[in-house]
Amino acid sequence: MNVVLAVKQYISKMIEDSGPGMKVLLMDKETTGIVSMVYTQSEILQKEVYLFERIDSANREVMKHLKAICFLRPTKENVDYLIQELRRPKYSIYFIYFSNVISKSDVKSLAEADEQEVVAEVQEFYGDYIAVNPHLFSLNILGCCQGRNWDPAQLSRTTQGLTALLLSLKKCPMIRYQLSSEAAKRLAECVKQVITKEYELFEFRRTEVPPLLLILDRCDDAITPLLNQWTYQAMVHELLGINNNRIDLSRVPGISKDLREVVLSAENDEFYANNMYLNFAEIGSNIKNLMEDFQKKKPKEQQKLESIADMKAFVENYPQFKKMSGTVSKHVTVVGELSRLVGERNLLEVSEVEQELACQNDHSSALQNVKRLLQNPKVTECDAARLVMLYALHYERHSSNSLPGLMMDLRNKGVSEKYRKLVSAVVEYGGKRVRGSDLFSPKDAVAITKQFLKGLKGIENVYTQHQPFLHETLDHLIKGKLKENLYPYLGPSTLRDRPQDIIVFVIGGATYEEALTVYNLNRTTPGVRIVLGGTTVHNTKSLLKIQDRSGEEKGGEVTVLANSTAVAWAPPELYVKRAPDVSAVSSVLLKT
Amino acid sequence: MASLDDPGEVREGFLCPLCLKDLQSFYQLQTHYEEEHSGEDHDVKGQIKSLVQKAKKAKNRLLKREGDDRAESGTQGYESFSYGGVDPYMWEPQELGAVRSHLSDFKKHRAARIDHYVVEVNKLIIRLEKLTAFDRTNAESAKIRAIEKSVVPWVNDQDVPFCPDCGNKFSIRNRRHHCRLCGSIMCKKCMELISLPLANKLTSASKDSLSSHTSPSQSPNSVHGSRRGSISSVSSVSSVLDEKDDDRIRCCTHCKGTLLKREQQIDEKEHIPDIVKLYEKLQLCMEKVDQKAPEYIRMATSLNYVEGTPATLIEQVGEGPQATGTIAKCSIWSAGETTYRLEHANDLRVEVQKVYELIDALSKKILTLGLNQDPPPHPNTLRLQRMIRYSATLFVQEKLLGLMSLPTQEQFEELKKRKEEMERKKMLEKQASLESQRRLEERRSDLPSRANGEVVYLRRGSAPLRKAEGWLPLSGGQGQSEDLDPLLQQIHNITSFIKQAKAAGRTDEVRTLQENLRQLQDEYDQQQTEKAIELSRKQAEEEDLQREQLQRLCEREWEREREQFQAASLHTRTRSLDFREIRPFQLEPSTEPCTHLAHALDLGSSPVQSSATPKTPSPSSALEPIRVWPGPPALGQEFLPQSTMSQQREVPSLNPFEEEDSSSPTAEVSTSPHAAEPSCGPPSHILKEYNPFEEEEEEVAVAGNPFTNSNSPAPNPFSEEDERPVPGNPFEEATCTNPFEMDSDSGPEGEEPIEEELLLQQIDNIKAYIFDAKQCGRLDEVEVLTENLRELKRTLAKQKGGSDWPLGR
Repeated sequence: MNVVLAVKQYISKMIEDSGPGMKVLLMDKETTGIVSMVYTQSEILQKEVYLFERIDSANREVMKHLKAICFLRPTKENVDYLIQELRRPKYSIYFIYFSNVISKSDVKSLAEADEQEVVAEVQEFYGDYIAVNPHLFSLNILGCCQGRNWDPAQLSRTTQGLTALLLSLKKCPMIRYQLSSEAAKRLAECVKQVITKEYELFEFRRTEVPPLLLILDRCDDAITPLLNQWTYQAMVHELLGINNNRIDLSRVPGISKDLREVVLSAENDEFYANNMYLNFAEIGSNIKNLMEDFQKKKPKEQQKLESIADMKAFVENYPQFKKMSGTVSKHVTVVGELSRLVGERNLLEVSEVEQELACQNDHSSALQNVKRLLQNPKVTECDAARLVMLYALHYERHSSNSLPGLMMDLRNKGVSEKYRKLVSAVVEYGGKRVRGSDLFSPKDAVAITKQFLKGLKGIENVYTQHQPFLHETLDHLIKGKLKENLYPYLGPSTLRDRPQDIIVFVIGGATYEEALTVYNLNRTTPGVRIVLGGTTVHNTKSLLKIQDRSGEEKGGEVTVLANSTAVAWAPPELYVKRAPDVSAVSSVLLKT
Repeated sequence: MASLDDPGEVREGFLCPLCLKDLQSFYQLQTHYEEEHSGEDHDVKGQIKSLVQKAKKAKNRLLKREGDDRAESGTQGYESFSYGGVDPYMWEPQELGAVRSHLSDFKKHRAARIDHYVVEVNKLIIRLEKLTAFDRTNAESAKIRAIEKSVVPWVNDQDVPFCPDCGNKFSIRNRRHHCRLCGSIMCKKCMELISLPLANKLTSASKDSLSSHTSPSQSPNSVHGSRRGSISSVSSVSSVLDEKDDDRIRCCTHCKGTLLKREQQIDEKEHIPDIVKLYEKLQLCMEKVDQKAPEYIRMATSLNYVEGTPATLIEQVGEGPQATGTIAKCSIWSAGETTYRLEHANDLRVEVQKVYELIDALSKKILTLGLNQDPPPHPNTLRLQRMIRYSATLFVQEKLLGLMSLPTQEQFEELKKRKEEMERKKMLEKQASLESQRRLEERRSDLPSRANGEVVYLRRGSAPLRKAEGWLPLSGGQGQSEDLDPLLQQIHNITSFIKQAKAAGRTDEVRTLQENLRQLQDEYDQQQTEKAIELSRKQAEEEDLQREQLQRLCEREWEREREQFQAASLHTRTRSLDFREIRPFQLEPSTEPCTHLAHALDLGSSPVQSSATPKTPSPSSALEPIRVWPGPPALGQEFLPQSTMSQQREVPSLNPFEEEDSSSPTAEVSTSPHAAEPSCGPPSHILKEYNPFEEEEEEVAVAGNPFTNSNSPAPNPFSEEDERPVPGNPFEEATCTNPFEMDSDSGPEGEEPIEEELLLQQIDNIKAYIFDAKQCGRLDEVEVLTENLRELKRTLAKQKGGSDWPLGR
């Protein structure tokens, strides 16, 4: 069920099968992203792969002393490129791997192009998705639907991605989908169709309890991607944006050249792996520890180096030290920037109100708070619009809804029309009319009691009250209580036992907060493994971008946006009420 | 662990045995029991009570452990404790995902295609052969034409009014030409010619390949043969008139294309590029290292840890958590110490080091392949070369650092003596404890796993307290490892009493006894922990002591070394074969490693080879210039570090890094082979080969004489690097994923990571020399060195400013 491992194993197998010798890896735009998420350059270098080329790059030299490993999506263009390549082979021998099912006719035309018999292997290796974390994958498709319906091209890509995932994990699942979403039903049917058509591929060893694929639609919970996040990974994505594990820091004031773009990967960066799910305050203190460690390791003063033992110790620690210095500066920069943004944009206050809007039902207080923040000059137009969106989503049907007033406030604040239009676009996207389930007021008795108890105890952490709606859905699913009238099975058979292996796919994109929820569910629920996927991994910006586009053009071209790692959610008890220790963090940062 | 967190499972442990009522905790169970079942059988009650006590104890321990883990998790990470589910990072390994092969399908289609192709090509080749079988140059053209026409039927002129290639109408001016290989017609513009040498090459090659294997790739050139009715045909006549080129064969573009493809194939088959040859050697070397290095490390460890005590040193090699384990291992190694001889290890070390040098030289060679050629190589070729070099550097860095140095003979002897004493003592102790253990085991066969746990416990010191899960639940009867402990004896007695009491059915007594037993055990636990702590402290003290001795040894050797040095005799040391040791070798003309290298690099006349010849000036003369030239040119520089190094060489460092240090001083001097020649003369040539990082230094040298000014005292070696990750720093690269970017176009900066890294290293080295020089009171040297240092730093700063190493690469 580990998606990173699944892709990695495919790549390793390819390289292994090609035998010893210098190799070049031929990829297309998408597979490049897929490979780079699971392998580092130095890792792959050690396997004698020295060059990485794009199949579509014209400027490739003939190098007959290299073996070529081609890892390509089975698209028409790629097949054409490959045919041209085989007609005039640039490398001595070709190992061809397609990331998905390829048609027999394509195989035939390739075979006919291979007059020089340079092809040694043609296989399908189903690594056709971006593996972000072991339990999170993405397809990097931003904007997969036109209105309520699928863009046909994206539907087919999504179906391919999802079936590839199933094949790579060797799961032949039962499928459930969200009834309120037409898109979810379409996708479920398409996936089923592929499973039926390629039944030979999907013949795996039967498990006692069959795996389950649950297909959801983002519009059922438009709140989650609109909230500010406070766990490391999610926060970085929300404030800086993670794109295939890379973070663009070029806009950070005074950034050094080396740090314009940094890579955050849990596979290689121990600090990141250990801290990606911790909240901002904890990260501050961990960064401090990291730095103290670092300082301990580096010989402080000249005097300290006077003894041979000191020197020796220093040199012995050198490799670790070097490694550490890279990590330290990277994370210090990232956290420093986060903390700067938090201060500059007044995010603590904004986030508190956001959480109130998302989790509580006190209309008048919420309205008052939103109004107050709209007056605050430090609040950016995006944040202001976001608050109004949250308000509009929550109190859409409230008797004393004062959305028009807030819209006026936005106008007065000087928020551009683009953002004001987005408010209605978001309501149209994720409003009550669309939602299949109730996002805000819990209906069943247990949930009500829970909320009541929570009210009694007081909220432990104002910034992390929100639990994504997905949590409840999955919780019900695991307990076998997910209602069949809302989430029907596709086909006649139903699951009698509690599900064990669950794959959740969110049309329209998952979020890192949800990934964290899934991560925690995995850790707390014995015997259950959950993998989360989405057409993309959202932050507020990307969600609004879709709305923006669909509002204006109603369809049109779809951008493929690279997205990456995943989750945002801190266990409340770890979080200090009120101010996360921003000042401490910054003071630490200043000191260095 | 799951049971503690999930109340549903804990419950299992607290069922009342009599009424099976589920009670949430043992307290409740106890009260419940006392209230409900107090009147019932005492025997049962006693048993339950002890059970409860046991459970309580286990729970306390488990809770404590969990507490520890939790605390740890704050800093160490999320993996250390779990709630019962599984962290996705810990999911069990899975098999490879589904795959589907299309190869057989592919082959089927290809075979059909290729058969067709092969037939066609063979046909062409046969024709070509026929066309070239006779002496064309001397034969009459009419005769030639006749033969040509007999090879392939020519297409009728009348059938082709337009040139099929360009579409022009044939006329008297634009005449028809026949392809000699297929008989088709084209105009003069579209006609191609095949020279006889090419034809011969093709036919002879295909004969070879035909005889050797039936490869489909033979594309023969068939020349269009004879013309029928040549005299009657106007076009033919005219063509005869125009073209006296009978040493060439006319053909159409299609046939020519096929033939050229074929030629290319032949060429490629025969030609093995230099890079492949070098690369194969490189791979061989790497394999060798992979074989030899582990063996050497085993030896070195065994020799170095003769005493079995320098655990801290190991700790620094194998980091953190493993260290405790290593201590245990180290005592095992030390036992096998006599199996390896020091000389043997030294030989092996030299061997491995030579292979490393070879790897370095080879990869460097690959890097510079074709750089001086006139049309510079394709950027991709350069990229390939850089990548190979880079990965070789990574390889060397990674593996070489794992090579620890060996003790010198004297040290070794001394260590050995001490070791023997200690061993004797230890043996006695061990025997005693072993015996007691055996006795214990015999007596308490009901708790077999205990003893094992205990041994581990003792050996590892206090560290594994929280780790050794295995022995926690067994805490009921801990601490049998030392028989002599009165507490233990007491415990044994009591347990046997309990048994007896139980057998006699005296439940009351059993209860009191059990209470006693518990207290005793607690006491014993505590004692044991204290002991463990004590043990580890002792160990640490021993280490300190030893380190001190080592240091003293070093100093003594330094002293000696300096004397020798001042006598201007750079002696070759025979015992310690540190990496540094190679330098003395190098200074002798025509040293063994040199020839070795030259041998390896037999491809072409490289500067490397030539450099092996020059003689080295005597070290003393080399030292002179230092004082003369204040901003020492490379030559002086070379010997300066040398002199300091020769002292430093004595440090019996176990640290691989230092080796690198010592090897790199040469780097300072040697610039690129060409640049080096004028400035530093022969010695640097010789040395050059030994420096794995030489070519990185080029930049330093090019940037002007880096060693010129400044006299700051040795500054903090780290001032340059902290907080400023060098983009190209390979270490950094390793820490973060580097999703490679295909788009990035191969800038020439590819080498930079290593270069900067090297600069930094260089700086550190120089600092070390300064330190050494100070210690020896050689102030003039200190001054010169500090100057160098400054210059280097400046270069570094410059480079950092100018470098833009895209992360993607």
